[in-house]
Amino acid sequence: MPILEVNHIEKHFGATRVLNDISFSLEKGQAMSIIGSSGSGKTTLLRCLNFLEKPDGGTIAVNGNIIFDAADPATQQEKEIRAKRLHFGLVFQNFNLFPQYTALQNVTLARELLAKERGGESKKEIEEEGRMLLAQMGLSDRASHYPHQLSGGQQQRVAIARALAMHPDILCFDEPTSALDPELTGEVLRVIRELAEQKTTMIIVTHEMAFARDVADQIIFMDGGVIVEQGDPHQVIEHPREERTRQFLARYSEN
Amino acid sequence: MTVILGRLCEGFLLNFKLFSLTLLFALPLGLIIAFGSMSRFKPLAWLIKVFVWIIRGTPLMLQLLVIFLGPGLMGMGNPWPDGSNGRLTAATVAFVINYACYFSEIYRGGIQSVPKGQYEAGEVLGMTKSQIFFKVTLLQVVKRILPPIGNEVITLVKDTSLARIISCKEIIMMANEYTSKGLIWPLFSSGLFFLAFVGILTVLFGWLEKKLDYFK
Repeated sequence: MPILEVNHIEKHFGATRVLNDISFSLEKGQAMSIIGSSGSGKTTLLRCLNFLEKPDGGTIAVNGNIIFDAADPATQQEKEIRAKRLHFGLVFQNFNLFPQYTALQNVTLARELLAKERGGESKKEIEEEGRMLLAQMGLSDRASHYPHQLSGGQQQRVAIARALAMHPDILCFDEPTSALDPELTGEVLRVIRELAEQKTTMIIVTHEMAFARDVADQIIFMDGGVIVEQGDPHQVIEHPREERTRQFLARYSEN
Repeated sequence: MTVILGRLCEGFLLNFKLFSLTLLFALPLGLIIAFGSMSRFKPLAWLIKVFVWIIRGTPLMLQLLVIFLGPGLMGMGNPWPDGSNGRLTAATVAFVINYACYFSEIYRGGIQSVPKGQYEAGEVLGMTKSQIFFKVTLLQVVKRILPPIGNEVITLVKDTSLARIISCKEIIMMANEYTSKGLIWPLFSSGLFFLAFVGILTVLFGWLEKKLDYFK
């Protein structure tokens, strides 16, 4: 059974149709890349999965349980959304770290708040795990730095650790390197590659074509709010079937 | 001279009381007004915006007179107790309403200047709305609004002397009594009280701003 099944997701902003009949599924331990030009709906799709936007149609199921059904208001209650969105983690394009907290505090804050509410691990255990995650990101020596003291690449790696700290079933990346200087993208991509090797279930929206091809088990090309082509990364990027995919990739390699 | 200085101190004590009471009530009330003006329930937001416009758009002196004299003259009975305490209470009410409106606009600006990404980051990490407000945005808001709040607080110190319009015996009123006896130095001295107090507040706000300098 797939860990994630997305069926017929629709999203409008006013009269503009941003997502149209989006369906795909993802197996546990797999990585999926989403490519496409700006405005194609990639980011909106991730935001729908993380309940930052409410789809106007369609269903989302995690581990076979429908957690969102546009036709069933019972699946959209505010209280439950909080628990449901913890199935997903989201790494933002511009990091969105909390500036008043150190790297370590950024990683542990949400988990500590949750543990305080529900009982569970002690502060010390959470902190230990936070340090471990930062070490995994290659940031052991930056635990007590504040975000403004870190480079963009380091900030993004803290943001990845922060998302991982909540143990999401599916980790989403929204153009994780688009806000970075070219020389800093490598360190972030490397970390994501490692996560893929460890079989972390991921959805990655990216403009790094070579990365999208190498890291993913499947790839989706979106244009104008629809999935134009979907399949094996090497096939889609190297031998696209659809004309629109070909055009996009050609435009891309020109730049 | 010591008698006059004693009277001035007595006067400034009233300015200080009015100042402290105003801050005590106006700072939290301003936050409530700010939330009201950002309410998604449009009639409420609209009503509060009109109210803030009226309060910020008319002189505090006029508001003092209306609040002190209005109820009695409009046949609602005078709600203020007799004597100096009643006048101080009326002055406090007028000041609290006036300053809460100014604070509310500063709060609103501060709250709205926190990037949306901060809220969204909190949300996707499963935080509740109140956790996001208290643990994520509040300190960022405080950092941003500290300089404008400091400005308002300093203005408030000096505005307290407006209370004399409803016969609150504040320091300038005290000092002015001596000008009819040909003495000007009490007036100058009253200025020194304000200078010293504002000096202390300036240092205090500078210190607070520095305390929050550790993040950007």
